[in-house]
Amino acid sequence: MTRTYDLVHRTTYTYGGPVTDSYGRTTMTPRDLPGQAVLAATVEVDPTPADTSTHIDYYGNRTTYYGVTRAHTRLVVTARSTIEVSRVAASLDSLPAVTWEDTARSVETGDSAAAVSPDVLVALRELVLPSTHAVPGDEVRAWAAPSFTPDRPLGELLVDLAHRIRTELAYRSGSTTVSTTQAQLLAQGAGVCQDFAHLMIAALRAHGLPARYVSGHIETRPPAGREKLRGADASHAWVSAWVPGAGWVDIDPTNDQFVDDRYVVLGWGRDYQDVPPLRGVIFTEGSGSRLSVAVDLVPAGSEPFA
Amino acid sequence: MTDLLSSPRPAADGSPPEHRPDWGWLADPADAPDPATLARAREDAERLLADHGVTYGADRPEGAGPWRLDPAPVTVDEAEWSDLDAALVQRAELLDAVLQDVYGARRLLTDSLLPPTSVVAHPGFLRAVDGLRLPGGRELVLTATDLVRDPAGGWRAVADRTQAPSGAGYAMEGRRVVSQVLANVYRQASIQRIGPFFHAMRAALRDVAPAHAEQPRIVLLTSGPASETAFDQAYLASMLGLPLVEGTDLLVRDGRVWLRALDGLEPVDVVLRRVDAEWCDPLDLRTGSRLGVPGLVRSLRAGNVSVVNPLGASVLENPALLAYLPRLARTILDQDLALPSAPTWWCGEPASLSHVLAHLDELVVLPTVRRTAPGLIQGWTLDAAAREQLAARIAAEPWAWAGQEPGHRSDGVGGSQAAMLRTYAVAHRGSYAVMAGGLARVAGSAVVSSSSGAVAKDVWVLSSQTEQAAEDTSLEISAGSRRQGAGISPRTAENLWWMGRYAERAEDRARLLRVVVDRWDDFHARPRSAGGRALSVLIGGLEPDDERTGASLRELTLEARTATSVASALRRLGSSAATVRDQLSSDTFGPLARIERVLRAERGRRRPSPDEALDLGRLDDPRLATAGLRPVLDQVLEALHAVAGIAAEGLVRDVGWRFLDAGRRIERAQHVVEHLQATLVEHRPPAVEGFLVDAVVLSHDSSITFRRRYNSGAGVAAVLDLLLLDRTNPRALAFQLDRLQDDLGTVPGAEHLLSDVADLVAELDPATVAEADGRRDRLGEALESMSWRLRSAADEIQRVHFARPGPSRALEDPWDAADEVDRP
Repeated sequence: MTRTYDLVHRTTYTYGGPVTDSYGRTTMTPRDLPGQAVLAATVEVDPTPADTSTHIDYYGNRTTYYGVTRAHTRLVVTARSTIEVSRVAASLDSLPAVTWEDTARSVETGDSAAAVSPDVLVALRELVLPSTHAVPGDEVRAWAAPSFTPDRPLGELLVDLAHRIRTELAYRSGSTTVSTTQAQLLAQGAGVCQDFAHLMIAALRAHGLPARYVSGHIETRPPAGREKLRGADASHAWVSAWVPGAGWVDIDPTNDQFVDDRYVVLGWGRDYQDVPPLRGVIFTEGSGSRLSVAVDLVPAGSEPFA
Repeated sequence: MTDLLSSPRPAADGSPPEHRPDWGWLADPADAPDPATLARAREDAERLLADHGVTYGADRPEGAGPWRLDPAPVTVDEAEWSDLDAALVQRAELLDAVLQDVYGARRLLTDSLLPPTSVVAHPGFLRAVDGLRLPGGRELVLTATDLVRDPAGGWRAVADRTQAPSGAGYAMEGRRVVSQVLANVYRQASIQRIGPFFHAMRAALRDVAPAHAEQPRIVLLTSGPASETAFDQAYLASMLGLPLVEGTDLLVRDGRVWLRALDGLEPVDVVLRRVDAEWCDPLDLRTGSRLGVPGLVRSLRAGNVSVVNPLGASVLENPALLAYLPRLARTILDQDLALPSAPTWWCGEPASLSHVLAHLDELVVLPTVRRTAPGLIQGWTLDAAAREQLAARIAAEPWAWAGQEPGHRSDGVGGSQAAMLRTYAVAHRGSYAVMAGGLARVAGSAVVSSSSGAVAKDVWVLSSQTEQAAEDTSLEISAGSRRQGAGISPRTAENLWWMGRYAERAEDRARLLRVVVDRWDDFHARPRSAGGRALSVLIGGLEPDDERTGASLRELTLEARTATSVASALRRLGSSAATVRDQLSSDTFGPLARIERVLRAERGRRRPSPDEALDLGRLDDPRLATAGLRPVLDQVLEALHAVAGIAAEGLVRDVGWRFLDAGRRIERAQHVVEHLQATLVEHRPPAVEGFLVDAVVLSHDSSITFRRRYNSGAGVAAVLDLLLLDRTNPRALAFQLDRLQDDLGTVPGAEHLLSDVADLVAELDPATVAEADGRRDRLGEALESMSWRLRSAADEIQRVHFARPGPSRALEDPWDAADEVDRP
C-alpha cells in the first residue's frame, strides 16, 4: 500500500540579543529511496538568507547550507515536503538465517560469502568503527552480552536488542543531551530515541556488525485504533543494520519494531553527528536562546499542527 | 658531535660506513673552524636569532623561547642529494595520487592495496570535503617528509607531514644566520640555494587559484601568536608577501571568502592554512572552533576559494600508510618506491598485529588516531606492566595503532642522540620542486622534537657547480615590498596602533627617568634645596596618580612586572610587533632584542643598594638608587629611535603605517598633557620652577629650541607655548593633533573630541594661565579637559576602526527538543 504524507519540520530560535550573522546547515528533507519517493521538498529560512546552497553529502543525504547576514533576534527554519511511502517492514521470517558471527567474519575478511563489492566494503568497514556518539565501551559490552548468544541468527539478535531497549530503558524526553554517553544512559536507565539508537549501534559495532544511524520522522497521529508511537512529535532516530543477503535493515528500538510505512527517512550517517537536522554558528554579543521544534507528519492534504 | 645526517663516508673494506667529520668536505682541512671559532659562531647565531625575534613554542607556560640553532651545518653531497630529490618527487606524486583517490573513486581502498579501515578510521579523513577538487590537477600542494639515516647510511622516511607542514621559515632563517656566522666556510662552499623553493611555492599558490581569479588574492591563515610555530608562520607570510590573517579576519558571504579590511570586504581566492583542517570551519568541521571561518567548506564546494593544503590532506599523515606505499607505488606509478620508509606495521592486519605485539620492546608504537591517544611510545622504555597494558590497548582497537622500527641512534660517549631531516616539496610545473636542503634537528634523546629541545641545523647540499650561494639572502623581504594597496584587517590595524603606542610609551618613560636619574645624584641629599624640591616633583610625575606602584627607579627601568616601567612597555611593544611581523621590516626586531639584552644584563648585575621603594619625602636616603641606570636608559632610547627610524624611513605610507603613527601620536599627546599636569599646574617658587622648566623641556626633547627661542629664565608660559601650541614642534600637542588628522582623517566620534582639544589649545593664552598665585587653576582645568578628551578620542578610534565581529558560538543543539526549551 502506498501512503502519501505532508511533512512540516519547524525549528525556531529566539535569542536574548541581536544576532548579526547566522550560518547553518540542515538535513531536513527526506531522501529518495526504494519505498520512499519525495514528491516535493523545500527548506525555508526566516530572515531570508543572503546565501543558500544544497548538495548531496558523503552519505548521500540532501543537505542545505544557509547564511543569514541580517541582524535578527529570531530564526525560523521550516522544511516542508510531500512524500509517498510504500515501504514494507522487514520481518523475522523474511530475513536470511545468517548468524551474527558469520556476518562479522565476512565484514572482517571481506570474503565473497557476503558478496560485497569493494565500495560497499569501505562503507561496512567504516560502520563497525566507533564514532563520536557510539562508543562501544565496557558498559555497552556488558549490557549487550546476554543478547549475543552463540550462533544466533542476526535477525533474531536485532529483534532482541530492540525489545530489550524498549523494555529495559524508560523513554523520557529531556533526560539526556547531545553529550550523554552510553554509560550514563545505562546508569540512569532513561533516554530518548537518539540514545536508544546509539546504544544499539554501539552494541552491534562492538561485535563487528555494521550499523548506521538513521534520522527521520514517524507519523504524528496514529490511524484509528493504533497506539501513538514514541518520538512522533520531534525528530526521531533509529538503527539500520547490515544483514548479508538482505542489505540494510531498519529497526526502531524506541518503538520495538521494524521500520514500516509510518516512517519517513531524512538521512543517515555514523551517528547523530553526521546528520543533525540542524546545526549552526551564530555571531552575537548576547547570551541565551530559546529553542522549539515542531514536527508534523500527516496524511497529505490534512491541516498541519491541527 | 658526530653528524648523523651528513653524507657518510663509505668504508673501503665493506664494513658499515663511517660518519664523516663535520668539515671533511673542505678542500683544505686547515680551513675547518676550530672549537673557538665554532663557539663564537654559536654565540653570534644566538644573538642574530634574538635580533630577528626568532622564537618557538609560544604555547608553553613560560611563553615563547628562543629558536635553537647549531651553526655547524649538515652537509650532503650533491650526488646523494639528487637521488634523494628524485625519490622525494616520486613520493610526493605517489601521495598526491593516493589523496586524489581517497577523496575520489576510492579504487585503492581494498585489502590487497590500502585496507579501507586504515583510511576511514583516521581522523584526517574528512567526509565533509569528500569529492572536492583543487584547480590545477594536484591535491597535495605542499608536503614535508621526516627522514633519518638507516644503519647502512641510506635515507629512510619516518613520517610525512601533509596537514600544514611547518619549519620552512625556520630553515630559511637558519640559512641566513649560518651564512653570516660561518661566513668563512660558507663562502668556500658551493651550496645549493633554498630560495627557489619559496618562489615555487608562490607560483604553486597562484596555480591553484579558482579560474575566475585573474590576480589571485592569497592569504596565510595563521593559528595565531600563541601557536608554537608563530614565528615560522609570520616569517613565511612575509617571505611570500602574503597578509597574515586569523580566522576572525575572514568571513564568508555569498559563498565567497572575504577579508574584513578596514575599508570594506576584499575577496580572498587562496588560503594557505597553518590551521589544522578540523579547526578551519566551525560549521562543517569542528563545532566551537574559533580558529576557522564558518562557511569555508561551503565556499570551497562552490569552487570560489582554494585551500592549501586541501582540508582532507592530513589523512596522508597516517603512519599506517607507510606500510602500504611500496605496493601502492607499484600499482599507481608502476615503479618501485625509491625512498624506503622505516619498516612499519599497521596493527589492523592480523599478521602485523602479532608482529607488533611480539616486538613491543623494540618498536616505536604510534597511535594512528592521534585524537584519543598520546604521542609515540618507545616500546623499549616501558616496564613489563606498562608493556602489557599497552598490548591490551592495542588488542582492543588494533586499527588505531602502528609499530615502527626506530631510527638510527648513536649511543656514543655523549649519550644517546638522534637526528632527523625534514624535507619540503611543493607542486611545481606538473611535478614537484624539492627544497635543496631542509630543516635538520638533532636531539640529545631518542625523540627528535623541537618542543622537547631539539637543536636545528642548516642543511648544505654541496654543489659541484660554482653557484653564488650568497644569493639566498636575496629573498630578504622588506616591508616595502608588500603588495601595494592591500587592505589590512582591523586586528592588524589595532596591533600596529598599539605597537605605536607602546613604542612611544617606552620612550616617554625612559626620557622622564633619564631626567630624574641625572638630577638624583646632585639633589637627593638636599631635599629642601630648590633642586631637591624640583626632583621630588619630577619623581612624583614618573607614575600617573591612579597607577602608582611605589617602585624604585631601578624597577621603573628594568622590571617588566612593574606595570609603569620602561621594561613593561618594551615587552608589550615586542608582543605587538610580533603579531604584525608580516607588516614590518625584519630590522625592527634587532634593536628590540638589543634592549632586551641590555635590560637583562643590568638586571643580573648586583648593585650595592636594595630595590626598595622610593620614599618621596626622604630624598636624603643615601642609597645608590640610580647606579647603572643612565647607560641603560641611553641605550633604550637609542634603540627606540632606531625602531622609530625604521618605521619612518622603511615603511610605505599605507593604511597600516597610518595606524602605527596614530598610535604614537595619541600616546605622545596624552603624555605631554599629563606630564604638564603633574609638574607645572602647581605654582612654585621661581627657583624651583626654574629647575622644573628645564627638566620638563628636556624630557620632551625640546631643550635646544627652548634655549634658542626664549631668554634664559623663560618660564612656564614659554614651556606651554613650546609644548602645547607650537605646530612645528614634533613634541608639541598641536603637532600631534595635526598628525592624527593626517593619519586618520575624519573618525566619526573622535573628530569632535580632537577638534575640541585643538580649540582648547588655540584658546589657551600661555601668558595668562601661567601667571597665577597658588595653583594655576585655569591651566589645570584646560589640561584636564584635554586629557579626558584625548582618552575618549583614543577609545573612539579603537571602537570605530578596530571593531571585531561579535563572539561566535554554536547554535543550541535541537537533540530531542519538542516544546519550548530555554537554554542559558
